[in-house]
Amino acid sequence: MQLNFPYRFAVAMFGEDGTELGTVLVKRDWEPVADWTRFYYQRRGALPLAESGSASILPLWEHTLGKPYCRGYRVQIEQPDRRPVASDFPNTHFRDFASSVASLYVEQKKLRAGEYYSYMVVAHPARTEALKPGGLSVVNTSPSLPVRDGSLATFMAKATPSGVIDSDDMPVFVHNHVLDETATLTQRHRGTEVGAILIGKLWRDEAVGEIFAEITAQIPAEHTLGTSVKLTFTAETWAAADAALRLRNRGESPVGFAHSHPVFSWCKGKACTPEAQKVCHLAKDFFSADDEAVMRAAFPRAYSVAIVANDTAFTDLTFSMFGNREGLTQARGFYVLEGETNGA
Amino acid sequence: MAKVESTAEIPLEFSDVSGQKVFNVKNAPVANTVGELIAEMISVSNMNLPRNDSNGAPLTYQARLEREGRHLNASERIGDVLEAGDHLTLAPNIDAGMR
Repeated sequence: MQLNFPYRFAVAMFGEDGTELGTVLVKRDWEPVADWTRFYYQRRGALPLAESGSASILPLWEHTLGKPYCRGYRVQIEQPDRRPVASDFPNTHFRDFASSVASLYVEQKKLRAGEYYSYMVVAHPARTEALKPGGLSVVNTSPSLPVRDGSLATFMAKATPSGVIDSDDMPVFVHNHVLDETATLTQRHRGTEVGAILIGKLWRDEAVGEIFAEITAQIPAEHTLGTSVKLTFTAETWAAADAALRLRNRGESPVGFAHSHPVFSWCKGKACTPEAQKVCHLAKDFFSADDEAVMRAAFPRAYSVAIVANDTAFTDLTFSMFGNREGLTQARGFYVLEGETNGA
Repeated sequence: MAKVESTAEIPLEFSDVSGQKVFNVKNAPVANTVGELIAEMISVSNMNLPRNDSNGAPLTYQARLEREGRHLNASERIGDVLEAGDHLTLAPNIDAGMR
């Protein structure tokens, strides 16, 4: 999907006493939020399943102050002969960028370490840039969503919820054996991060206006380099997973990845007390910036998910799932499937 | 042995490792290297794949040539190794972890 930027966004930074510290042009990755918006409307049948149309990132003006101050932004997707669809997002989506600017200001001594700061988001019309001559001529030919028709109720009848289910999230069903195999993989290499490629199918239930995912299998990630704190996926990893997927030949597609977090080992290294380990944010539902980078590089579509096997010292292995919600990678719930289903 | 070049540019097809993103290039210059083409393809204006890891370090992508089932070296010349219509998969070397 082509992204259009008729406006340029910037954050105006203020110190604790309200002094303006500077204004910095926003640099951020807009694709996850644009892709989430597209998928949201595809789920509800308001957009075609094919990769088409273009999305514009537009400012939402602040009600009292007006232009150029923003209360948020809008992702608007144009479609031929139909009204555009749009989703609105708050200024909190600029928080990480503002935080990185604040860190820079601390280095530059414009802010004191620990000093409170605030930010406002502003937007100004962008200049139209001329196309560079002699560049590559590239056309997006990405495939349509690989959905097939199925019944959500059929899946629900065999499923048990795990984690907090948000009704706005795409339902994800994970076969129990996938979790068992991920657990076995984790325990076999206990103390070292290991991973797998998750494969499955997307289903569409037109009667209820929903698309949902079924994770049918995990392919252990070969040719990886694992330590207690990181797992490197190499070019050979992806090639081996692709070969395994083709060999299975069951109409499945890659839908994400799974990997282990040997939290007990991290805690041991830091000599954390058992009490501290139980309330540590790393123990459950922790998805690092590195993990997010893997999702973005290898599984960019909004329906992709990741499973983390949390291996702690104080409880049995647990699983967390993460996915794109409103353009941000967030912990989410899922359903565990017992037995076989053919989707009908 | 180098292939006979009948044209200065060839069409190619690229995908990411999941196959979720597929892009066609109409005019890959045969005189360029594979590394130069990869750098161009991952850019924001094309496939928009991440160029840096979470720490800001550059990510390395390798191009896997479907026809031969091998990863190309970044220094190989397009005209020497690729044919019109070849499919290439861009595979990152990337870390998951606690950072």
